Amino acid sequence: MSKKILIIGIQGAMAKITAEILIQSRSDIQIIGVDSRPIENMPNRPQIKAQQIKYNRTNFEKLFREHQFESVLHLGRLGHSPAMGNIHKRIDINLVGTNTILELAQKFQTKKVVILSTHHVYGALPDNPMFLKEDAPLRASFKYAELRDVVEMDQMCTNWMWKNQNQIETIVLRPSNIIGPQIKNNITQYLKTPYAPLPMDYNPMFQFIHEFDMATMIVNAMEKFTTGIYNVTGDDVISLHEAAEIIGVKKILVPIIAVEQLAKFLTPVWKFPLYMLDYVKFPSTLDNSELKKILGPDTFRFSAKEALELLK
Amino acid sequence: MAGFIRKFTKLEKALKERYSKERDPWGLEPSRAINDLKVIWPFYKYYFDVRIHDKDRVKEGSPYMVVSNHTGQIPIDGLLICTAFATELDHPRILRPLVERFLTSLPFLGRWSSESGAVLGDRVNCMNLLKRGESVLIFPEGVKGIAKESKDHYKLQRFTKGFLRMALASKVEILPIAVVGAEEFFPYVMHFKKIAKFLSLPALPLSLNVFPLPSPVDIYIGEPYMLPAELSAEALDEELEPHIMALEKQIEQMTQVGLLKRRTMTQRLNI
Repeated sequence: MSKKILIIGIQGAMAKITAEILIQSRSDIQIIGVDSRPIENMPNRPQIKAQQIKYNRTNFEKLFREHQFESVLHLGRLGHSPAMGNIHKRIDINLVGTNTILELAQKFQTKKVVILSTHHVYGALPDNPMFLKEDAPLRASFKYAELRDVVEMDQMCTNWMWKNQNQIETIVLRPSNIIGPQIKNNITQYLKTPYAPLPMDYNPMFQFIHEFDMATMIVNAMEKFTTGIYNVTGDDVISLHEAAEIIGVKKILVPIIAVEQLAKFLTPVWKFPLYMLDYVKFPSTLDNSELKKILGPDTFRFSAKEALELLK
Repeated sequence: MAGFIRKFTKLEKALKERYSKERDPWGLEPSRAINDLKVIWPFYKYYFDVRIHDKDRVKEGSPYMVVSNHTGQIPIDGLLICTAFATELDHPRILRPLVERFLTSLPFLGRWSSESGAVLGDRVNCMNLLKRGESVLIFPEGVKGIAKESKDHYKLQRFTKGFLRMALASKVEILPIAVVGAEEFFPYVMHFKKIAKFLSLPALPLSLNVFPLPSPVDIYIGEPYMLPAELSAEALDEELEPHIMALEKQIEQMTQVGLLKRRTMTQRLNI
């Protein structure tokens, strides 16, 4: 009997790449993918069954009842672009939805749950040391209330994880900036902007991970990781200005105060979340020693520089 | 001019060897640092007439926790120590000063300082720097050391203990430094502590002169301070206290000896 994996947020590029890697690595697999968005451009694979559902308890319960999922990959966190809906919708999906999924996974005896969080939970602050470990305080919502659901979702998952560690394996991944030709997150769109406004008064250090490597890490998490929180990033750290040079974007150097005003002014058309500006002022870099303990050195196929070059 | 070219060629070579294979994660840009040092060096040499003593005590390749007294209202002393280590040593290096978060949050200045080698003063940063074989510059007196009124010039303030725990955890040698001459940059100073607190500034000195006076500076490098191998980084404060006092005493003595040999501004300007 084939093993069933539930992927939440299947319409996202990261989920599609993860599904492809899973199919290639395991022949006896069936992927049930769900998303609240319309399903489009799904890879034409018999092993993937994707459907659009409304994220509510009834629908998820039906799914868990019909399929005996071996693992659940929760890649469906809503981001913070104003295009992603208002805060109530985000809280509903990110917090209430995640809580329902965790409860159901335990109730229906799923072996493993992998949750994709983000390095944004640590916050970008001037007093952040380099290489934040997994036990660093999550300070993202100190300044920006709009990030509170991201932090709360992460904290809810980790609290739940330790409480139920004897019943179900739960893995929380906090990746650095995921970039790639398919993914459409804020940082990739920012770096691919032909004329990227770069702060002339700040030049924070960044970590980048290629979308293929991130998808591989999600599969690794499912197969090799034990219960815990893991920062996911490579060893190399690159300054924002250097990253822009590698991609070859035409830099428009502006003082950050002007960028902040510009972003506020352009929000209706540009849809750039303002909190991201702190991430181009101050560092939020991750320590990857926990990841290396499991996977050893040279874990990634692409270095940060190579990942950036592939964005050209 | 030949000396200037020789110094910077040597520095360029040393930094190329150190940073060409692996980028510095704290944002040091070696070429930027060299260019900045080229600008600072004439001030270092001809304006402040800096002399460095016992530079042979710095051994090639060893990372150090450089611990200095802090004087002069604004951290020019740190800039001069870093310039000395980059230009005067046989094996030059970029010292990594651990700085206040106030500096890292500032536009332009924060960027310039990190590209030149400064790092936010934080235990995680310090430990990671030492692990990577970098030498750090620490002022254990903190802001209290630098922001003194005229009557307290050259009075060493109590050292905090955090640096000693990091030295114990990393097993890196402590290199004591005494800077003499920097308090005279701003001879008459008043401090407005309440206004500084209200404005969230680390200090607010008010001096008669805006630009530092050309006081000649002497940098004394002391014997590395050896911590007992059996002392743990988690030792009680009372167990660390004798070592803090011994280090304070060593730097105090170096400062007093330096003050006796001090060159005055009038001597220097032949007034």
